[in-house]
Amino acid sequence: MTEELGPVAPSGAVALPEDATIAPDAAAEVRGRRQWPLPKLAVPGAPLLEVKDLETHFKLRQGWVRAVDGVSFGLADGEALGLAGESACGKTTTALSLVQLLPANGHIRKGSIELFGIDLVGKSERAMQRYRWREISIVFQGAMNALNPVIRVRDQIAEPVQYRLGQSEAASRKRAIELLDLVGIPSKRSDAYPHELSGGMRQRAMIAMALACDPAIVIGDEPTTALDVMVQAQILELLERLRRELGLSLILITHDLSVLAETCDRVLIMYAGKVAEEGPVRRVFTAPRHPYTRKLVNSFPNVRADRRTLDVIQGQPPDLLTPPPGCRFAARCEFAMPVCREVVPPEVRFSDGVRVACHLFPTSDIPGEAAAS
Amino acid sequence: MTELLRLDGLEVHFPVRRGFGDIVSGRSKGAVRAVDGIDIAINRGEVLALVGESGSGKTTTGRVIVKLTRQTAGTMTFDGQDVSALWGTRALREYRRRVQLIFQDPYETLDPKQTIHDFVMEPLEVNHVGTSAAEREAMVAASLEAAGLRPASSYAFRYPHELSGGQRQRVVIAGALAVGPELVVADEPVSMLDVSIRTELLRLMLDLRAARNLTYLFVTHDLSLAWVIADRIAVMYLGRIVEIGPAADVIGRPRHPYTAALVSVSPSPEPPEPGERAKRTILVGETPDASNIPHGCRFNTRCPLVFDRCRVEEPPLIEVGGGQSAACWLAETAAPTALATGDVATAEVVAEAAVSTDVGIAGL
Amino acid sequence: MTSTADVGAAAVRDARNERLRLLARNARSFARRFLSRGDGVVGLVVLVAFAVLAIAPELFVGPLETATRATGHALEPPSAAHLFGTDDLGRDMLNRTVHGARISMTIGLMATLITIVVGTLVGIVAGYVGGRVDGVLMRISDFFLVLPTFVLAIILAPVIIEIVGVESEILGIRATLMVIIVVIGLTSWATTARIIRSQVLSLKGRMFVDRARVIGSGPGRIMVKHILPNVMNLIVAQAVLTFAVAVFTETTLSFIGLGDPFQPSWGEILNAAEGTGAPGLGAWWYIAPPAASVVLVVLAFTLVGNALDDLLNPKSAGRR
Repeated sequence: MTEELGPVAPSGAVALPEDATIAPDAAAEVRGRRQWPLPKLAVPGAPLLEVKDLETHFKLRQGWVRAVDGVSFGLADGEALGLAGESACGKTTTALSLVQLLPANGHIRKGSIELFGIDLVGKSERAMQRYRWREISIVFQGAMNALNPVIRVRDQIAEPVQYRLGQSEAASRKRAIELLDLVGIPSKRSDAYPHELSGGMRQRAMIAMALACDPAIVIGDEPTTALDVMVQAQILELLERLRRELGLSLILITHDLSVLAETCDRVLIMYAGKVAEEGPVRRVFTAPRHPYTRKLVNSFPNVRADRRTLDVIQGQPPDLLTPPPGCRFAARCEFAMPVCREVVPPEVRFSDGVRVACHLFPTSDIPGEAAAS
Repeated sequence: MTELLRLDGLEVHFPVRRGFGDIVSGRSKGAVRAVDGIDIAINRGEVLALVGESGSGKTTTGRVIVKLTRQTAGTMTFDGQDVSALWGTRALREYRRRVQLIFQDPYETLDPKQTIHDFVMEPLEVNHVGTSAAEREAMVAASLEAAGLRPASSYAFRYPHELSGGQRQRVVIAGALAVGPELVVADEPVSMLDVSIRTELLRLMLDLRAARNLTYLFVTHDLSLAWVIADRIAVMYLGRIVEIGPAADVIGRPRHPYTAALVSVSPSPEPPEPGERAKRTILVGETPDASNIPHGCRFNTRCPLVFDRCRVEEPPLIEVGGGQSAACWLAETAAPTALATGDVATAEVVAEAAVSTDVGIAGL
Repeated sequence: MTSTADVGAAAVRDARNERLRLLARNARSFARRFLSRGDGVVGLVVLVAFAVLAIAPELFVGPLETATRATGHALEPPSAAHLFGTDDLGRDMLNRTVHGARISMTIGLMATLITIVVGTLVGIVAGYVGGRVDGVLMRISDFFLVLPTFVLAIILAPVIIEIVGVESEILGIRATLMVIIVVIGLTSWATTARIIRSQVLSLKGRMFVDRARVIGSGPGRIMVKHILPNVMNLIVAQAVLTFAVAVFTETTLSFIGLGDPFQPSWGEILNAAEGTGAPGLGAWWYIAPPAASVVLVVLAFTLVGNALDDLLNPKSAGRR
């Protein structure tokens, strides 16, 4: 089954996918555009973001909910990575772990999150402030809830510039107006209150706020889900433009695969707290290996395909309080074998840049590549 | 096929609440024209999708049909009877048994203090369906199982918060079908759910249509969902229907630039070719306010193919054959279809040629 | 056909059993959550103790001592014979304080009932029906909101006594005390109505109310079956807090002389103490027992009320 997949590409620790839209020397170029110096503790030459074996669990009276259970991934400079999966698959928890904005009962119990080589796990709340928003910012789904209704949009954007970066009030206000202009809100609207803006405009304001401190990484948590299709298309176009102009690295979280198909270089499909499949977006969406990815792609309503071929994923994800042994998708998988119910499938990396955790793909096509853990 | 429901010139205008300044100056702000004159006929047994963005009036139309909102003008005919003036709990008793609504948000539609059993039982009790408590119990179980909650006994005595989103929406469906309606208005029934379980619920709705001879009015903002379930699609923009026709034709050969733009931005899980951007027609700006509808064609402020006539004269629904019609002067040209593939340049050329050569289109 | 009917009959039985089971389960889970709150439990223990005293004071301290049945001398300080001392007529303070619990708490209970019943009714109807009905009801409630409790009590006292007659008894409570109950009820229902109404307004916009309309439920049924259960939490918490306020108000009104000297509520005892000049005579035991009782009961009600509010309020209860 693996022979029919693309030609063998050179693979390395930070190998870029063959059809990546960014050049390999993008890192230096992107970092050269930073307005502010790298954090003092940054390790020279370290990749932008490396998440290794992350386990974030929620404490309940009955025990620990293993919401994120051993997730690893990396993010290169200027790259857009999509996190996809059904609700409660752990995609949002993964993102919130990066900035440690977890609910009170959420704890990172294992693993590391290295930003510029600095491990953020175990940093104090005070130390995290150096990184949160300044290096990693978030655009949330409900723009109305995230904006303070009684403060002008411009002033809400100026606030982090003034207090986080210590700019003067005038300078931060000027920067806020520039940012609003950048996201397509004309300067004459900059003194509006949130309720005076439409849903699309508020989401633009949220993006401007996320960009305020010139962060290296912007996380979009379902940034377009609540919006109309046409506005959604406008916002995606804006994100794409910003990424190219500002050299941003994006992490987009959504259950809407079409959003990822259009904006991301790589996708990471999560299922029940684990990585099911990860790789270049074209590879994963057009030749999915993991049965879950296949189901997910085929159950997506698409006006350009035949409506009779739509697939359905039967059943429900497992309870993460007591996850099943073996592969977590086994109960819903039509290819499930006896081994699937007993042994957790290892993550295997293939020569086309795809990593998959499925017993149907036990060995890599890369010579000498053992199962990556 | 016989006609089940017909709307003629339906209008819902909400008066704008005036501010203090208006009262002093005696000025009136006019009305929000949420639904501004629509005519549709729904045939028995068909699925008609009403597609539009927020502010298009699609939800209000649905609410008028299920008698949650009163129309300000126009008539409604249901199964040959004029039901326009029907209002009030008693007068509507029979109508309510025949017309039901599936709501958008399964988290909100279920009363948090009510068990699943009681939720499905309530319409039976209220409408005195069935002759005995025993018969009603059997009907509740049958409805739950028909909606895919099997066995009914393992779901009936749970509270909404103990169910997943998909299960809740099945409960809502079971509750709507318990009284045996003929017309079901489904207002965005799956938009709050994960993409992966949407298809399953749409399948369920189609199976139930076949089993119980239902007619659906499927209200949605998502053209791709309409495409999955509908026989015919009606596209609404700012309170009017701008295009209506068989689903395959409306999506395959849209005749209105707005429909075309919606088709072109419709989500797809297929990534564009390497180094290319997806070809899409993204409209600029946002839908104007329904209290301030543009003169002429209501879409002219955002239309990429706008020409002089559009700004002064609103086009009627022009029949283009095959049961498809569109409210656009260019409906009979190939311009809108070109927009649907994201090829704005070709569309503009075709439109310009048509306007300069065809007096019937140019109008002036 | 018979088999379907049998199945149906069995289902009816099942439905009844399941309903009972759910009721029991909800009660158990609520009890468990309440017991895990220390402050609420402390409040509850205090309340239960006072409630027992109020229900059967004779069991603990014998019949109420009157001037003729006094067992001690005037103003004896606490001793083995009179644990709480005696008052100016030689009556045992322990006896009077315990009997006072009955009067104070009965007044509190009845005033709370009036407040909650009227407040809930007005709040739900005004909120759900809306329009002109809402306008009229809310203007009326505005009027009662601004009414000063004491002035109203002073004006109403003779009126009510005139109506019911001095000697008549209602539920073992003399008519004079009805004044206090009515006054507390009149001045506090409006607050409850306001709170319930605002909750109803937000419930009215919820989809399950629209759904009830679509299936053909009339306004009466919707208010009883859908609105009331969803404001029940608020009503319970509000009732407990109202009880605290009622006990406190009763004490104050009795203290300023609107009580009934033949029915020793705590406020009444304090009033008598003040009349005798107990503070000036250094007879602290005349003041401390009723005062401490009032403070304890009000505090306990507030503790329980706040715990209930936290547990029952959907906004503070953790939603899944």
